[in-house]
Amino acid sequence: MKILDVFAYSFSAIKLRKLRAALTTLGVVIGIAAIVALLSITQGLQATITDQLERGLAADTLIVIPGSSALGGGAGEGGGFGGGEGFGGGSTRALLYINYTSQINSLSPNIVTSLAVIQKSGYIQNGSGITRPVTSIVGVDFAQFANAFPTTFVAASGSIPTNPADNDIVVGARVSYPRLNGTLFVQAGQDVTLIWTNNTVIPFVNETYTAHISAVLDRIGGFGLGGPSDTSVYMPLSQAEKFFGTDEADMIIVKLKSSDLDVVNSTSTTITNYFGNQVSVISATAVQSLLSTIFSTVSLFLGGIAAISLLVAGIGIMNIMIVSLIERTREIGILKALGMKSRTVLHIFLTESIIIGLMGAIIGIASGWVLANVVALFLGRGGIIGSALTITPILRPEVMLGALGFGVGISVIFALYPAWRASKLKPVEALRYE
Amino acid sequence: MSMALVVEAVDLKKTYMLGKIPVEALRGVSLKVEKGDFLSVLGPSGSGKSTLLNLIGALDKPTEGKLLIDGVDVSTLSDNQLADLRRKIGFVFQFFNLIPRFTARDNVELSMSIVGKSKAERRKRAEELLEIVGLKDRMDHKPAELSGGQQQRVAIARALANDPRFLLMDEPTGNIDSKTAKEIISLIKNLNEKGVTIIMVTHDQHLAREAKRTVQMFDGVISSDVVN
Repeated sequence: MKILDVFAYSFSAIKLRKLRAALTTLGVVIGIAAIVALLSITQGLQATITDQLERGLAADTLIVIPGSSALGGGAGEGGGFGGGEGFGGGSTRALLYINYTSQINSLSPNIVTSLAVIQKSGYIQNGSGITRPVTSIVGVDFAQFANAFPTTFVAASGSIPTNPADNDIVVGARVSYPRLNGTLFVQAGQDVTLIWTNNTVIPFVNETYTAHISAVLDRIGGFGLGGPSDTSVYMPLSQAEKFFGTDEADMIIVKLKSSDLDVVNSTSTTITNYFGNQVSVISATAVQSLLSTIFSTVSLFLGGIAAISLLVAGIGIMNIMIVSLIERTREIGILKALGMKSRTVLHIFLTESIIIGLMGAIIGIASGWVLANVVALFLGRGGIIGSALTITPILRPEVMLGALGFGVGISVIFALYPAWRASKLKPVEALRYE
Repeated sequence: MSMALVVEAVDLKKTYMLGKIPVEALRGVSLKVEKGDFLSVLGPSGSGKSTLLNLIGALDKPTEGKLLIDGVDVSTLSDNQLADLRRKIGFVFQFFNLIPRFTARDNVELSMSIVGKSKAERRKRAEELLEIVGLKDRMDHKPAELSGGQQQRVAIARALANDPRFLLMDEPTGNIDSKTAKEIISLIKNLNEKGVTIIMVTHDQHLAREAKRTVQMFDGVISSDVVN
């Protein structure tokens, strides 16, 4: 029997029981839709986070922070997100000093420049006497910082001074507009008070000084991992030394010649070795590779759960095929009496399941995609991680093909047994069947 | 031996297991059917005529004895080869056994599609055959829209589609009113006159007498073999 005739025959059998076929297909649709929706949301989320990372930390920069850790990347994230103290807890740590930058600059020809950063968490008080916390008060050389992060350390209003006075500061967008809704807390040109609780003396002392806002930064988004962030206040490095009373750097940002992976990795190693493994070097690349590992695990886990629903669909297919086989016993007998071979009977039943699997997978992929977008819309509106993130679901061609193959594969696997049983029916007995 | 033998059975035996009890349905049947013959196998239920029909139809294999269909020994064949052999046999059943969801034309085409003939060839042949059996204007009707007699005509057309060595009929008028039955019988006789070999199994003596030759079966053996 020709392939096209087998297909036409199978299709006629499916058409006869439309509702039943539709319900069986629905099982596959749900399974595939769940897989596609989960994977495209996770992948969308991964892309969003990666993108945010790239904004916060340029690919051609390294962040050196004190303290080694088995999880260099992990400790680094802590240092970046937090107030400046990396949680390399328990591990040995070298202190970084502001003047180490010249040593670092001479370590490798791949290093363009490096700049020291002091950062502490503190508070900012506006002219009306209202005080708000800021994630970090950062002491940094404005010119060098702007040079290292040319796309993010950019003024939205006012201007970033190249040779700042001691009391000049630059603030992130969300320091100026904390809720990003137009309610102004401070703006360029205003004088504010910066407050830092000195906990190196007992009792603790609140250090304060009056600063002048020269510029408010453009909104950046992202996590501010090392690079400029929306929730930080920037003061000249020399002023920070005086204000915080220290010449210890909380991190040193190293600008590289290129973002080439080899350059990033070899320079990281050089720096780590130079400090006797007592510093952690974070690169966007390293954090991204860690995140990508985490995300692939999460994807696998979620996909696995979704796959269970497909398994249920498979059992549904098997069930329906067995019912169909029993109902059509006599028909199979007729086909065999007309000279149809067992192999062809097998093909007819498998083709039916392939049609169901294929339709289910195609509809499932489409509805999974729609579902992912609806969910993303809700997540975006509700706001996760402080509404800094919007997820755009991503449906990769390989995921699409995989889902298609998986849907059809499951359908075929679960149809094998009924199809085999159909093919093995004895013509005499099948014809006698009422 | 004549070259024109389509069926040759020598001392055929068939034993079924009915649970744990062996039942001897055929206890040594020898039979020759020549090309162009019109043979009726007559017998009451339980006489073994249905078993003989299944064996001659290559639907089943004998327990003992030799059965040549179109010169091929059935007992040596695999399931696949049996299926191939069945393509040379035109079955006509008591209950028509048409595929309900198919039109008359599609039912006739089905046996040709199994053999792998092209759509165009199938269609042409199906229409020719339906015209021969007198259903030219009913080709697009489904079995449920046809009378019993008409359904049996479709079944005969289907049986003829692959130019079989012989037609094998099982109570072809058993489910049809007597007036229509006469029409079916005359169609069958007509086909035989045109050279189609026919083997017909029945318990109806009147019908059996329409054949050229009647084999009477009783208790698993042939009790008489007469030319009508």
